[in-house]
Amino acid sequence: MHIVLSGPIRLIVVAVLIFSLFIDGAGYVYRIANHLPLTGDVAGLPPNFGSWQLYFHKGLDLAGGTHIDYQLTNFPAGQNRSEVQQRTIAVINKRVNALGVNEPEIRGAGTNYDRITVDLAGVTAAQAQRTIGAVSKLVYTKWVPDPKVTGGPQPGYKPALTGLTGDDISSASATIDSTGVSWVVNIGFTSAGATLFDNLTRENVAACPGDVNTSATANCPQRHLAIWLDLTQKDIDNWEDPSYAAKVTAPYDPACLATQAEGTVCGKLLTDPITIQEIPGGNATISGSFTQQSANDLATGINSGSLPVDLVALDVTQVSATLGAEAVKLSLAAGLLGLSIVVLFMILYYRVPGLLASLALLFYAGVVLALFKFIPVTLTLAGITGFILSVGMAVDANVLIFERFKEEVRAGRTIAAAVDAAVRRAWPAIWNSNGSTLWTCAILGFVGPSAVKGFALTLAIGVLVSLVSSIVVTHNLLAIVLISSRFRRASLLGVDRVRAV
Amino acid sequence: MSELSDVKAEEQSADIVPDGATKEPEKEPEPAKPPKVRRLNIIGRRNVFFALSLIIIVPGIISMATHGFRLGIDFAGGTELTVNFANHPTLPQVEAAVDSESAGGSVIQTTGGGYIIRYPPLNAGQVTNVQSDLQSKLGPMTVNQILEVGGTIAGETIQLSLLAVAIAATGLLILLSIWFHNVPGGWRAGFQFGGSAVAALLHDVFVLTGIFSILGRVLNLRIGEIDAFFVTAVLTVVGFSVHDTVVVFDRIRENLRVSQRLSFEQVVNLSIMQTAARSIITSFTVVLVLAAILIAGGPSLQGLALALMIGVVSGTYSSIFNAAPLLVVWRKLQPVR
Repeated sequence: MHIVLSGPIRLIVVAVLIFSLFIDGAGYVYRIANHLPLTGDVAGLPPNFGSWQLYFHKGLDLAGGTHIDYQLTNFPAGQNRSEVQQRTIAVINKRVNALGVNEPEIRGAGTNYDRITVDLAGVTAAQAQRTIGAVSKLVYTKWVPDPKVTGGPQPGYKPALTGLTGDDISSASATIDSTGVSWVVNIGFTSAGATLFDNLTRENVAACPGDVNTSATANCPQRHLAIWLDLTQKDIDNWEDPSYAAKVTAPYDPACLATQAEGTVCGKLLTDPITIQEIPGGNATISGSFTQQSANDLATGINSGSLPVDLVALDVTQVSATLGAEAVKLSLAAGLLGLSIVVLFMILYYRVPGLLASLALLFYAGVVLALFKFIPVTLTLAGITGFILSVGMAVDANVLIFERFKEEVRAGRTIAAAVDAAVRRAWPAIWNSNGSTLWTCAILGFVGPSAVKGFALTLAIGVLVSLVSSIVVTHNLLAIVLISSRFRRASLLGVDRVRAV
Repeated sequence: MSELSDVKAEEQSADIVPDGATKEPEKEPEPAKPPKVRRLNIIGRRNVFFALSLIIIVPGIISMATHGFRLGIDFAGGTELTVNFANHPTLPQVEAAVDSESAGGSVIQTTGGGYIIRYPPLNAGQVTNVQSDLQSKLGPMTVNQILEVGGTIAGETIQLSLLAVAIAATGLLILLSIWFHNVPGGWRAGFQFGGSAVAALLHDVFVLTGIFSILGRVLNLRIGEIDAFFVTAVLTVVGFSVHDTVVVFDRIRENLRVSQRLSFEQVVNLSIMQTAARSIITSFTVVLVLAAILIAGGPSLQGLALALMIGVVSGTYSSIFNAAPLLVVWRKLQPVR
């Protein structure tokens, strides 16, 4: 135990304290450094130092938003389930990004890659489900002459459904082409799709033959095959209205489609490439001036037309932001109330040691909150309860030591020897009892339902830090303060009498 | 550990004096005053304390067997809307509106003047319909929370919770047996320590679940609902109960090692007396913190705080009055040396 009282340990404690205070106050440090007002919502938050973001990550029950657990059904046969799950997550991500959600969380789960959980802050359940679960139908169209069409990308032509749809596509992916410089999108067709696509490309080339790169006549509208999402026959029937055609041929806009009101027209075009040659074999490549980003976007867009599985919502939770803010306020109040009651009680009952334990408790609270930001721990209501509860339990180690300290003093020991013996003898009880709490936390964290995992994590962090704070911090404070004979009085130590040294 | 036993060996005579007046758990201004608390014979009256526990546990078990629990939405499955109406309709008005939907909804009034409306599982379209229906009948409303829990998730939550309790209890039995195998008597004695602690733990779980069954089903109180928070509470109580018991057992182990003069019963009684002050003070501070949550924590946390409070009080009671006496009884039935 002498190592606990050594100079290096004290230095480490002070360093940890300073570091924690910096993290705790990171928001204010950041505001001051960037000349931002100290309170209120301002642009440029959350605070980040380099790329290091330090703020409390709030769970949905505190931030407000929607949580959905999806079950994946109808897995395509013969494909790797984990890949299918990843592709589904990518599609959901794409759709959700259109909503402009801050830090959406979309995670795979389930024992057999058959679950996906989605956490979206600030979105209602109805909005989320409409966006994610929207069945986007991908269709291929060719262009057919129609003299009445004056607007749109190909005046004099309107699209016609070809029968080739998202169901005929097995996958789409962005890759670098064989020259190693440009990004392209590869599309793989199913065997039925391959035949259809082969026929369509042959017709394309037959409509205006020639090499598209050299012959001007070869580049006619009939040589294009357009890919759309959710394009319907009704849209095509309206093609003669130039403004309608222009709106539909805008780039695909999932946000517009998700919140579509009666009468609005949303962009539905993914791409409209020209066919260079007949493509048999079921593998097509779309090239063009793609960046990695735009190639990925197009691939995801094509894939999102063919969400590889069906999504069934197992449970949906929607919490309004006001309720979340209210919950934060209430639990903060509860935490502060609890902390002050404990501090008051400790000082009244144990006098000077109690005061020192309260200081250690403040150290404890500061370090735990810093850890929450640092790790980062996503705080939920249950998680905050775990933290508040751990404040109560953090006192326990101190109580064990102080009760033992009283015994040792009564047994006739000097103050210094009593402190040492008390810490030493209380240690097995402290370790074993906290060990059993940690064990329970571990079980909760690994086996428990998802709602209680946050609780287990914060309680475990709290217990671990409280071990350090009581053994190291309280012990050191006692050793330092009790050097002065002014404090070695029975009335200040809460004991009956003190043996003269 | 070796360091620890050194200290004990050289300083023991001052420490353990069965009837000496040198150490009182209570703060006494005069050391000469007769130490009342020390004379408490808990082990001798163990049957009284066992009976007291049974008085609470037996009705709880009967209630669980006959009435079961009042299930919260996470376990029952269904759709729950938490809403506030701008026009503040009365409970009968809201009930009438919900009944007329014939969607099988039921209404609970919350403390904040809002309402919780529960339906059997609805799909997204039905949820929207129900909301617009309520608005047309009762005026503008704010939806604070929508919960939809399907049967699959509800079933899984129950399974996971039971699994977690079972694993935690088994694991603690093993852990404690390992920690305490170094008492005189070896592994068998260690198992007795572990077994007694786990029995006290089960006592606390039954007290807590029994009382909640009575609160929820027999008295029909909303606070007695069983949900994921309640599972959290039960598992925390599992940890806390053992936490308390271990402190007592640890003292028994220490006293067994250093005082050969006392009988096992005397050692246990002495150890309980030495640790009682700490157990009560710690529980008291935890209860204070929980009281703060109960008062200031808002409706969703109140059930959790109440459950934890019952569990903590029961955990402290069982560590003092059940776990150690049980150990004595077990030792009598199966002497280890």
